[in-house]
Amino acid sequence: MTKWIALLGLSLMATAATAGNVQVQVRGADGAPVADAVVTVSAHAAGRITFPWPSVVKQQNITFDPHVLIVPVGASVSFPNMDNVRHHVYSFSKPKKFELKLYGHEEARTVVFDKPGVVAIGCNIHDQMSGFIVVVDTPYAAKTDASGRVTIANVPAGNATLTVWSAAMRAPGNQLAQPVTITPAGLSKVVSTP
Amino acid sequence: MSRLRLAFESFRRPRFGHIRTRLVVLYTGLFAIAMLSIGLIGQVMIENHAQSSVRTELVTSSSVFDRLWALRAKSLADSADVMARDFGFRAAVASGDQATILSALANLRQRVGVPYAFVVTQDGDVTGDGAATLRRDVAAIPYKLAAGRNSAVVTSGQDVYRMVVSPILAPTEIGWVVFAVRLDEGEMQSLERLSAIPLTATILRHDDGGHWMPATGGLAVPAGAIDRFMAADGSHEMHPGLLGLSSGRAIALARPLASTGTAPDAMLLLTFPLIKALAPFRSLQIGIVLSGLAGLLLVLWGSHRLAGSISRPIAALDDAARALEDGSRAEVTVIGHDEIGRLAVSFNRMSAGIVERENRIAHLAFHDTLTGLPNRVLFRQQLDAALGRAVRVGEQVAVMCLDLDGFKLVNDSFGHPSGDALLRVVGEVLSNLASDGMVARLSGDEFAIVVGISVDPDRPRALAQSILDALREPVVANGHSILTGLSIGISVAPGDGHEPSTLLKNADLALYRAKQDGRGVFRFFEPGLDAAARQRRQMELDLREALHNGQFRLDYQPIFDLKADRICGFEALMRWEHPRRGLVSPAEFIPVAEESGLIVAMGEWAMHEACREAIRWPDPLRVAVNVSAIQFRNSGFADIVVQALARSGLDPHRLEIEITESIFLEGSGPTLDLLHKLHALGCRIALDDFGTGYSSLSYLRSFPFDKIKIDRSFVINVADDVGAAAIVRAIVDLAGALDMETTAEGVEDSEQLAALRSQGCSSIQGFLFSRPLTTEGVARLLKDQRRDVMPTVSAPVQRLIPPPAPIELPPIRAIGR
Repeated sequence: MTKWIALLGLSLMATAATAGNVQVQVRGADGAPVADAVVTVSAHAAGRITFPWPSVVKQQNITFDPHVLIVPVGASVSFPNMDNVRHHVYSFSKPKKFELKLYGHEEARTVVFDKPGVVAIGCNIHDQMSGFIVVVDTPYAAKTDASGRVTIANVPAGNATLTVWSAAMRAPGNQLAQPVTITPAGLSKVVSTP
Repeated sequence: MSRLRLAFESFRRPRFGHIRTRLVVLYTGLFAIAMLSIGLIGQVMIENHAQSSVRTELVTSSSVFDRLWALRAKSLADSADVMARDFGFRAAVASGDQATILSALANLRQRVGVPYAFVVTQDGDVTGDGAATLRRDVAAIPYKLAAGRNSAVVTSGQDVYRMVVSPILAPTEIGWVVFAVRLDEGEMQSLERLSAIPLTATILRHDDGGHWMPATGGLAVPAGAIDRFMAADGSHEMHPGLLGLSSGRAIALARPLASTGTAPDAMLLLTFPLIKALAPFRSLQIGIVLSGLAGLLLVLWGSHRLAGSISRPIAALDDAARALEDGSRAEVTVIGHDEIGRLAVSFNRMSAGIVERENRIAHLAFHDTLTGLPNRVLFRQQLDAALGRAVRVGEQVAVMCLDLDGFKLVNDSFGHPSGDALLRVVGEVLSNLASDGMVARLSGDEFAIVVGISVDPDRPRALAQSILDALREPVVANGHSILTGLSIGISVAPGDGHEPSTLLKNADLALYRAKQDGRGVFRFFEPGLDAAARQRRQMELDLREALHNGQFRLDYQPIFDLKADRICGFEALMRWEHPRRGLVSPAEFIPVAEESGLIVAMGEWAMHEACREAIRWPDPLRVAVNVSAIQFRNSGFADIVVQALARSGLDPHRLEIEITESIFLEGSGPTLDLLHKLHALGCRIALDDFGTGYSSLSYLRSFPFDKIKIDRSFVINVADDVGAAAIVRAIVDLAGALDMETTAEGVEDSEQLAALRSQGCSSIQGFLFSRPLTTEGVARLLKDQRRDVMPTVSAPVQRLIPPPAPIELPPIRAIGR
């Protein structure tokens, strides 16, 4: 198992003219595709970061839905309760510690995530409920599908850091970071997680 | 190869001198082997059983301990879980509120009774009281544990800890509650108390060199022993083995205690000393040994008794057999009716039989079956012994040889049974008379007596005389009254020799002399007898030579017919001209020739010679040839006569065969047949020497003799002795009555001639008419006769022919025994 330590501050000025699609497949230690893994390419982009999915984490059927939610830094995430039981949503994660004390059906609470990082959310009533809100400061982030694949479009060419996070990953911070060089043709890579 | 064989042969089974020892050794040995086998098998089984039960206990105990620890870990985990789920605690951990965490941990420790409890955060920070080393190791534990595991046994410094890890979920793992239980002596003792057997539980850890060593307790293990034990078959998790401790061997089970990785940091070693395992069976083992010893003693005693009962009679048999071997005889006492008893019975029978047979064989070997007297062998031994005794005490010993006279005649006349009976009677007579001596039968009719001369020096003579006197009367044997004579020769030691053989030879010579001296007498040995015997032997050799070289010749004495007043024939007389001794008298050499059997060949030669000579004489002059009884015994005699007649061409009527009465001594049957055969040929038969021997008239009746020759002893005194004249007249009358001629021998003067003429004697022979003539003399005489110069009694031949020195030459006569 090789651990890559992310080199912070290594950034590249990328132009739209030279941008490619980054295709990553994440596999577990057993070789099986890993779904709900968050792949991030550290590349700056001008303007506000937006993602094509809502910043909502529902509590439905005593689970958090979605299980993993990628939001940009500063995003306000609402936690609507769709269940008939009440939930006590909390997080002790460093990027964002919060506590939404018992609230019932159709109630929604919002929490602003102002620091990048992974926030693990749980329910004090229901131990089995767990979810993750990945707060990113880059538009180049996406979740792997059931086949463990993800495609991030229009990533500027150049040297960057490729970070893969997965709740199941047995690594500090549950993530792997590795330097990659993105050519204009893009990058296609298989990442095996520990 | 050969060396190998030698080595093999040198290995021998032990040799026993006694059956008893062999049996005892065999039985005891077998029993000992059996007991030893039983003991060994028992020992092995006991050990196996003890070990297997201990092994089972160890495995069970280890399983119990595993379960126990699993429960303990679970309860600890549950307790930790309860706390880790607490929102306040989670908040404290998440927010790094050390004070709150510490007080919560203290509370928890107290609640579950665990010495060490820590909280480890995702960052690796450790909260909780403990040594730095322990804290460091605790911090690493959550990261090292494989997924799904919540406890591990790890070494920390010199100690071994069981650590139980419970995650703090919020909802993901934000940290862990870690309990650390030191596996120390107390833990071990509490484990030991749970076991059914008093085993020893010890925790093993690696030392700096990577070798296993005890981390707890006072288990003294030699260096490397545990490593060897572990290496023996990889693992002793489920299969206890034997481990060599300082205090002895122990049955041991080593359970690896799961660490974070695959290789265990520590092991739980359960040991149980073999001695202790076997202790419950010690009494059983002692019992087996004792019963074995008791059985061995019992078998020793029993086999000794049994062997004794078997070997006592066998030993007795052995002794008896040895005694039998040594020549004495011992009876074996018969005990029981088994094989040995029967063997003893048959042994007694057998030994009795052997002794009896030995005695009989010895008796047969040394005794004569017919008379029961000692035989020649025993006689020699007795003589030896007697001589030895005599030499010691300076006495004399006499050896007597006795021989029956005319025994053959007895056999022929009365048959062998009578002969045997006679021998028995004679034996009894001798035994009775010689009660102070030893009587033996040496051969057919030959006896011998050894008699010591201690008191009476005249004893041998007196004994010999008494024997002769006793046998002078007829002896009744087998219903026949038999008159038998006996001749005795005596030699006396030491005068006549020291050696038995010498004494016997000399006694035999004396016997020979006694026979010569007319039988029915005894003679003592004189040195001259020996000389005479030597002379006889020399003469025998000379006779053989003479026969070979033709030293014999025949002289012919004319027989004058008184009625016809002319020569009617000649009697052939054998003459021996020895080259050194000159003319040897027939009286000297004829007996020797008869004894040696040479007379047969000499007689044959004389028969042929006489016939060849007589054929030259004018017919009807006859030739008279003397035939010895020995010749007559020869069955081929008739053939000899026929051959002599055939070769010469002589008319059988001109041959006159002169025999003496002695031919009838050997039995008259075959003799008469032979005489008749000769008579049938045409030969004339004359009875010579009539009146000197037995003069049995029955002989005259038994055969029609042609002539009787009157012996010179009567003729010499016929003119001046009335008695002699009467005998001559009686013989002449008798012959006349039986139609036989008579010839008077040894007529020397005219008075005798006159007397014989007056008594009617047919013919005469003697010096008065002519002495024996050589062939030339005979030729001259016959020539003169043809020229009518016939010699007459008034003008005898010797006047015409000057006589040589007158020698008394008796005609050949058979001298037989």
